[in-house]
Amino acid sequence: MVTEIPFDVANIPGPETGEVVAPEVIGSYISSAKRPLLVVGSEILRDGFFVEIAIELGKKGIPIAATGHSIKGFVEKGYSENVQYYNLHDLTNCLRDPNWKGLDGKGNYDFVIFFGITYYYASQMLSCIKNFATDPLIRAVSIDRYYHPNARMGFANITPRQEEEYKAMLNRVVGSIKRR
Amino acid sequence: MDEIKKGDLFSIAGLENVKISIGDIVEEEGGNKDWEPMGPHPMPSISTLRDWDFKLLNRYKPFYAPLCDMCCLCTYGKCDLTGNKKGACGIRMDAQQGRIVLLACLVGCSAHCAHGRHLLHDMIKKFGRDVPIDFGPEVDVEAPLTRLICGIKPRTIGDFEQVFDYIEEQLVQLADAVHTGQEGSYMDFESKALHMGMLDSLSKEASDIIQIACYGMPTSHEGGGPNVPLVDVGIGTIDTDKPVVLVIGHNVPPAANIGDYLTDNDLEDNVELAGICCTSIDTARVYKKAKIAAALGRQLRVIRAGIADVVVIDEQCIRADIVELSQRVHSPVIATNDKAMHGLVNRTDDDPDEIVADLVNERVPGVIILDPEQVGEVAVKTALQMDKKRRKLRFILSDDEFKQYVNECTQCGNCTLACPNGMRIGEAMSRAASGDVKPLADLFDLCVGCGRCEQVCKKQMPIVDVITKAAYPQLREEKGRMRIGRGPIWDSEIREVGAPIVLGTIPGVIAPIGCGNYPQGTKDAWLIVKEFAERNYIVTLTGCMAIDAALWKDEEGKSLYEQHHGRFDGGGVLNIGSCVSNAHIHDAAIKIASIFAGRKLRGNYEEIADYILSRVGACGVAWGAMSQKAASIATGFNRLGIPAVVGPHSTKYRRAFLGRADLKDDWKIIDATDGSEIYCEPGPQHLLVACETVEEALPMIAKMCFRPSDTDRGRSVKLTHYIDLSLKYLNTYPKDWHLFVRSATDLPIAKKTELMKILEDKHEWKIDWKTKRILEGPIRGYDPSFNPTNLKRLVRERK
Repeated sequence: MVTEIPFDVANIPGPETGEVVAPEVIGSYISSAKRPLLVVGSEILRDGFFVEIAIELGKKGIPIAATGHSIKGFVEKGYSENVQYYNLHDLTNCLRDPNWKGLDGKGNYDFVIFFGITYYYASQMLSCIKNFATDPLIRAVSIDRYYHPNARMGFANITPRQEEEYKAMLNRVVGSIKRR
Repeated sequence: MDEIKKGDLFSIAGLENVKISIGDIVEEEGGNKDWEPMGPHPMPSISTLRDWDFKLLNRYKPFYAPLCDMCCLCTYGKCDLTGNKKGACGIRMDAQQGRIVLLACLVGCSAHCAHGRHLLHDMIKKFGRDVPIDFGPEVDVEAPLTRLICGIKPRTIGDFEQVFDYIEEQLVQLADAVHTGQEGSYMDFESKALHMGMLDSLSKEASDIIQIACYGMPTSHEGGGPNVPLVDVGIGTIDTDKPVVLVIGHNVPPAANIGDYLTDNDLEDNVELAGICCTSIDTARVYKKAKIAAALGRQLRVIRAGIADVVVIDEQCIRADIVELSQRVHSPVIATNDKAMHGLVNRTDDDPDEIVADLVNERVPGVIILDPEQVGEVAVKTALQMDKKRRKLRFILSDDEFKQYVNECTQCGNCTLACPNGMRIGEAMSRAASGDVKPLADLFDLCVGCGRCEQVCKKQMPIVDVITKAAYPQLREEKGRMRIGRGPIWDSEIREVGAPIVLGTIPGVIAPIGCGNYPQGTKDAWLIVKEFAERNYIVTLTGCMAIDAALWKDEEGKSLYEQHHGRFDGGGVLNIGSCVSNAHIHDAAIKIASIFAGRKLRGNYEEIADYILSRVGACGVAWGAMSQKAASIATGFNRLGIPAVVGPHSTKYRRAFLGRADLKDDWKIIDATDGSEIYCEPGPQHLLVACETVEEALPMIAKMCFRPSDTDRGRSVKLTHYIDLSLKYLNTYPKDWHLFVRSATDLPIAKKTELMKILEDKHEWKIDWKTKRILEGPIRGYDPSFNPTNLKRLVRERK
């Protein structure tokens, strides 16, 4: 069902490309982060389920940067605890600065999770993180329905017919994250 | 002695072996001495404005997102630069990205410059060097960029020869910097890119002025400016019962010649002259019966729809497979420019009737005719004959063919992986096979018209044609209206709006420009224009975005151009013209500095750019930027102090210019009144930033209009729109609106109490509720005498 072809087939960046892994591997990897950040985009609004997944991750203590117009989804669900709007370009620019204070004023992050962002925009920002957020290293993963070669790990491409399977994979990611 | 003229050759008595040839007459002391003293930087070279660039680049630091982690430009490579590693030549990933950006700007600027030079050659040949630059009673400052950059006040089109000489010399120097073993600093690559952007803007201005002067395109003479007529836009407006000549590209002389031929032969009502992309916009400026078939994004589909009885191409934004595409629908091609000859045979100066016979009998798929004055006759005669031949042919799929294709689709997903917008085509095919055509029809506008899907389809399905068939009923009804390109903004308009723009009460000038690589279709172009025009911003459009915005209508069937006035004033929706015409948007900002504020223009780029950055709330919007020209255009805006908001595809340009609102020291601005340094709010926060969706872009565009010089009343208006657009499209207050509040009088009146409460509760500002004044909190207080500048040399000397 899945391949390792980039979702935009010609988007082959170079020698370093991300791994396709099972949801539990990503969950475990996220669990290893000291200061993770969830970065969500406007595609989470296509189904309330995806907003709920983001909120569940937020409730596990992972702060959320809502890019694009995804903040609407959180406002509509009444969730405001650790989520704020950020432009994705602006956010990625901050992420590459080790001295950035973060959304909470406590410093930059060591791990970012991309979710529900327009494919090519996400790919470019993951490329920036891969190439320039290297000292200290920021690890970036994707839990999108696209294979992202610029993320360290993520899922393979998922077709519309596999939507329910994808939702189950997201639940497995959430279930396998061990935090507070 | 007789008057010496350029090109004269004569001998001197007694020096029999010496002949003197007059190359050019330098008239500096005659023609240019009186209008203004020369400023500090006439015809700047690569390093002249580097200090200004570094001021910009230190605040708006280059941000890089590599599209490719390798460098493949020399035989040391390929070099893997992942993680900002160095390649074999010593270049790091960041500098390599700056280098690629410079290369993109070089290609883009070259296109505009070469087009301008080509146009100038043709116009001098047709009309002579002495065609006057006369834009009518309302335009005295005829060429602001030329005055500003070159220190020249052009009087005739011939004066632009020295402008192009300057640009071409700089282009070569900048191209040299891209070579292996030259520049190694990303900051210097970006300074060079900014220089290239400036040259791009100059090229565009020169090109448009030349064509306006020679063809009598609209200016401030009667019927120009706000009073220009409307033109039909959309595939549905083309009368396919008539022979159709379709022009594509950016260089208007061949299309103008076609229009002249139709007029001279009384064929205006018998033959349709329609166009795609900027040539169509410029054709409408010279030929009143012209129609605009579509913007760039629909080129492939218009050709495939078989509308054209002959296709005439000139230069830029032409599909590389234009001959193959046209051949498929029996549309002969006439190439008219040596930069885009597509393997055809050059038939310039051949007998027109012989050429027509070869085309009509399809002995050749197309021809080259490099003299624009010969194009009209061949194009029209060919269209007249091909129309009869092609009338019996059918180009849109039949119902049976359509059904067969949608049933054949295996939904393998290859097309989705090939699609720039990741369209789920297979899913829509499946729905169509079940009888629901709408999802497939809906893809028509989302499609950017590239055709990559067909390259990977295992069934060799003509996917573009299948989508077109599904959308055909709507397509036939695609009938929009737009103003023809009006060209320069009038000096008298600038006098009216200069103060409201600088003070902020007209909240901004929004400039939707560029190509059609939109993330979600053309309706976003319409929405951007609508939102800002209805909020009393001035909306100035050019190029394909001007066309796409015209495709959509309100409930009464009116396009935005019909709903809104065309003055350069609040609420106006102006089509400035083609890509080259967007120099007039730069010009409007420059004229605000010169006409309204009395700043000197001549050779004074740095001061004017500083003025614009600090005071003119203008913002470019390239929502579908695609080409290298778009890269150089945006970079030209940026050097002049005008920010741009771009669509998500533009992140593939690799570079943005992003400010950091959280770094206080980045926002120190000098008060020119006394030289003191003031910490300011981040306005504009970025010079080039991408948004993911139009919903995000709308408040971002409003935010990019804040300037340090805003009065409290102006700031209040700008804040009103920034907050309102955020509430409307993001359902929340902007997280940073408080940064732009300097005093209680800056606050939107209708929300003043509510906002003061938020400032007190959330941001811990101190409020005096009795007087409703802010006591503590803002980055700075509002000071009406604040005279912002980034240039120490502009601090007034104390007497």
